[in-house]
Parts: sequence; C-alpha cells; structure tokens
Amino acid sequence: MTDSLSRLMELRDDPFRWARDWKERTGGKAVGFFCCYAPEEIIHAAGALPVRITGENRVTSKSGAHLQSYCCSLARTSLDMALTGDLEFLDGTVFVHTCDTMQRLSDIWRLNAGYAFHGDVVLPVRFEGDAALEYMREELASFRKRVSDNIGPVDDSVLARSIKLYNRNRGLLAELYRLRREDPGIIPSDEALWLVASSALVEKSEHNAMLEEAIAGLKGSSAKPDEKVRLFVAGSVMDQWDFLKMVENVGGTIVDDDFCTGHRYFDAEVPLDGDPIEGIARRLTDRGSCPCKYLPSSDRASCLLDRIGESGARGAIFFQFKFCDPHSFDYPYIKKTLDEEGIPSLHLEIEHDSVSTEQLRTRVEALLETIRGC
Amino acid sequence: MPVAGVDIGSLTAKAVILDEGEIIGKSLVMTGHNSRIAGRKALDLALLDAGVEESDLERLIATGYGRLSADFSSENITEITCHARGAHATHPEARTVIDLGGQDSKAIAIDENGRVVDFVMNDKCAAGTGRFLEVMAGALEVELDDLGAISLESESPAPVSSACTVFAESEVVSRVAEGVNKVDIIAGIHQAIASRIYAMAVRIPVNERIIITGGVARNIGVVRALEQRFETDIIIPEMPQHTGALGAALIATERAG
Repeated sequence: MTDSLSRLMELRDDPFRWARDWKERTGGKAVGFFCCYAPEEIIHAAGALPVRITGENRVTSKSGAHLQSYCCSLARTSLDMALTGDLEFLDGTVFVHTCDTMQRLSDIWRLNAGYAFHGDVVLPVRFEGDAALEYMREELASFRKRVSDNIGPVDDSVLARSIKLYNRNRGLLAELYRLRREDPGIIPSDEALWLVASSALVEKSEHNAMLEEAIAGLKGSSAKPDEKVRLFVAGSVMDQWDFLKMVENVGGTIVDDDFCTGHRYFDAEVPLDGDPIEGIARRLTDRGSCPCKYLPSSDRASCLLDRIGESGARGAIFFQFKFCDPHSFDYPYIKKTLDEEGIPSLHLEIEHDSVSTEQLRTRVEALLETIRGC
Repeated sequence: MPVAGVDIGSLTAKAVILDEGEIIGKSLVMTGHNSRIAGRKALDLALLDAGVEESDLERLIATGYGRLSADFSSENITEITCHARGAHATHPEARTVIDLGGQDSKAIAIDENGRVVDFVMNDKCAAGTGRFLEVMAGALEVELDDLGAISLESESPAPVSSACTVFAESEVVSRVAEGVNKVDIIAGIHQAIASRIYAMAVRIPVNERIIITGGVARNIGVVRALEQRFETDIIIPEMPQHTGALGAALIATERAG
C-alpha cells in the first residue's frame, strides 16, 4: 500500500481531521455541503474548503426536537452532529435543494445550527433544455456573489483554475473505477469508495497528488485472480464500510456503482470552453441525473442496465436509506427492468441510527447463492 | 452415504439426516442463548435418531440464523435457499414459501426447480412470528398450542389495529377489560398476523401453490387466516419446522454427488 493510500485510509477513522488541520495550517474557512450538485468549485475558488457532510452512524438525541421522525437519517444524523457541536469546525454550509427533506432542513439548520455563513442553491426540478441551463447559470451567479460577499472573492481566472483541479480529480477517480472494473482484486470495494468519499473532505489539489500516487501504486500491484461475484450497487450515500467489507467477505465485489458519494460524485467534467459559471451549470444540467431530479429524455433504468452490462456485474443491490422518497419512487421501475433482463437484484433498506450488518449478511448471501445457481 | 443439514434458528435448532434421499433421522431442540451448543445438540440427537455416527456423514451443511456459529460444519447456506429447496422437495407444486419462524418471517418466490426467484424478509419486528403468538397467549392466559384452534371458533373477530407486538398486547389487555369475548380477540389477532404477512409477501411475485413453513405453520388459525387473505388453499407440510434443515441436507446430497 502506498504512503498516500495509507494516509487516506487513516482519515476514515476521523473524517474531519484533515479539514481541521487544513484550517489551522491555512487560516481558511470550511464550508459544509451535502449533495454532489453543490458548486464546490465556487467555494474552492474563494479560498475555502468544501467539506461534505453525510451524516454518521449514531443514535440521535437533539435532532428529534427539530425534525419529524419520517425523514431520512442523512438529514437526521447530520443535524444531530451540528446541534451537539461535532461540526464546530465549519464556518458555514451550503444547502442544495436536492429533495423536500434537504430543502426544509436548510431552514431548520439556518435557524438552529448557528454557523456564520448559510447559502442555498435551488436547482431546477426539470433539468433539460435551455430554460434549465439559463436558470442554473443565474442561480450559480447568485451563489457566487453570496460567496464573494461572505467568504472571499471569486474571480474568473481563479474559478477556472479550481475547475481544472476538480476535473483532474474527476478524471483520476474515473481511472480508478476503470482499473477496478478490469481487476476488482487490486483494491477492496470499501477502500475504493472511501477514496471517492475522501475527495470531498480534502482540498482538491492535495487529494489529486495523493490519488495520483495511490493509483500508480495500484497499477504496479500484481493482479490477484479474483473469484468473487461481481455486483453493481446503487443508492444515495454509501458510508457503511462494514457493509462493504461484509459483501467482500461473503464472496461479492462491487465493480461499479451509482452512489452520490460514488460514481455520481465524479461523473462528467466541466466543459472548459467559455464562461466558467456556464461550464459548471452545463455539467450539472447535462450529466446523468440522480432520482431527485428529472431529465425527461433520460431513462435511468436503461442507463443503469448499460452500466451493469459494461461492468460485468451479475447482480445488483439497491442500498437505500429508509424514508428516502426519490430513490424509493425510482426503485419499482428499475427493478422491473432488471427482472425483465434476468438480472438478480436485492433491495436493502437501512438507517444510520440502526445498522445491522448481520441481517444484511443473510440477504446478500442469499443473492450470491441465487447468482451462483445454488 | 448419509448427509446432514442443521438449521440453527433463533428459537429452535433442527437437524435432518438423509440417506439415499430418505430422511433417516431428525431432531428439534430449543436454541437458548448459545447457537453453537444448540446446533451441536440438534446434530447429535438426529444422528442418534438415525443410528449413524458423525464420521459416517459424507457432507454437512449448516443454515439458519446461527449457521456461522456451527463449528462442526465448514459449509453454510442461507435459510432462504434452504427453505426453497426443502419446500420444493416435499411439494414440487409450491411456488411461494411463507416461512414464519420464532422471531422472523419471510416470503420466498421459487421456480419449478426450487430455485429462489425473489424473497422478502422481516427481521425488524416480531409481528407475525412465533414470538407474537407467545406474547398473546400469555396476555390471554391461553396455551400457545390452543390459540389457533380457538381462533376458528369465532364468528365475529374483534379487530386488533396495532401493527406492533408490544402495542397489540396492550390493546388486547384493554379489550379483555372491556369484556370483549376472548375467542373473538384471538380471531382478531390471527387476522392481524395474516394482514402483516400478506403485506410483506405481496412485495414479491406470489404464485400458487403457497406453502407455509416454520413453527407458526402448526397454528391452524394462522393458516386459515392466510388462506382467506391470499384467497387460495395453503399447503402445510408434514414437518414444517424441518424444511430448512431438509433443504440444507438436500444441497449437501447434491454437493456430495
């Protein structure tokens, strides 16, 4: 394991340690975000560190006083972390209005969490067409002004530089995924997904350097013959490292995914021709959508089917957080599509505040037994 | 050459010894707090029943909740696959297996070869399981084994609205205090179980014939209530609690051969 890979893996025990150290080193500001539609490049260009908050496995105490019980544990545990002081290193947060819950959490957070800076980015519901692009451009310009007024100036050339760094990171992560699809044995699923997740916790140019070294190390490693059953996993946030390790232990390996903390995080690069704000807007409106948004001409089920085929996966797992409406609404038609193609799939529902890997183990093993024709 | 299947469930551990496809021995013990010891005991008793030594066994597969603790077996298969295989073996016409165990419930869609097509499990709550029935038997001061038959005597079941075992018990106690006929309450409980199981099962394709396995299959009231819900007759196998162990033993036979 290379030095860089070890350093990045160590971060998993205390994910915000890097951000705290960075703040001490540079005196810069940290701005939290939750969604991969957040315009990180703008925050980065202002000299601040975008830090992704994805909740954590914990029994909540304070958030229950502010949030209904029927919202997802991403919202519930993130708010709890803020209210108990676990995110005191943040100087502000940006809320992208991804879904109803995040939209409402924004106000609750603004009123109760007490950070100096609060930004909102309201995405169009329907992502296609000139109207969506124009709207997105205006919204991002607005956000840029807010960041300039409160965090630091965001000039075009610095923004273009940040975009290049982000594109580089996206390219590196895409390369990591390519390497893994060819030979899943080079790095376990949980480590590969952590490399993506860590990108949202570490400053981009520093992450690029570490990622380059880590990838070079993986390329140099001897390919071990891998007998594991190839799987495709889809969902929103994937932060259950024990679950991923368990999947490998029982004989599966995740060769590709559709997670917002996985593939969707680095999917597509910002076009560099033209205005940087327009470029960022284009990337957000043109790339493959998540279930929270609507692209009329895109058929998510077909897209997933294609990617499953390309990755050589023999089965799929839908890893969903309880109370996540957008993902749940998409599920039946995607399952139907997979059933019609004879691709075995499994639907798992979990919550951050009550994870039971053992119960999930039986289900995953049953899926593998079905795939193996047991 | 004999083979064995051991199903270590959360409430009971079962073992089946097969030789040339025939059941030559079986056992059932309470699991208690130690799955490993319970599995061992189930195996030993089944071997005794069969008149066979462990060293005579060609293959041994463990299944069930406690399968990983079975130190006597290096092979384990999920109870989902084993129930599918076991149900198919005794009733090849079965296409939906409803397994109602001590603490969990599952519905398994199987094909004409006994292979799993789809499944759904509920191990988050006890509604519909043996535990639920035990709690109710206690609250009503009735023998667990009599509950099913009593439920069939009712002409007007008293609805139980709570989905949760704990709240349902509370509701039952209130009904008794109100003077509602015990027989009607018991019928109401069985209908509540059937509703819960039905709601879970319809998440997978449900095709005839439906077969019920697990300890709760011995409760005729649950079976009848489920038949009403699914609008079809449900098969009750001769040894519903041994389906998993039988399936494990059958897979052991396949792998040995």
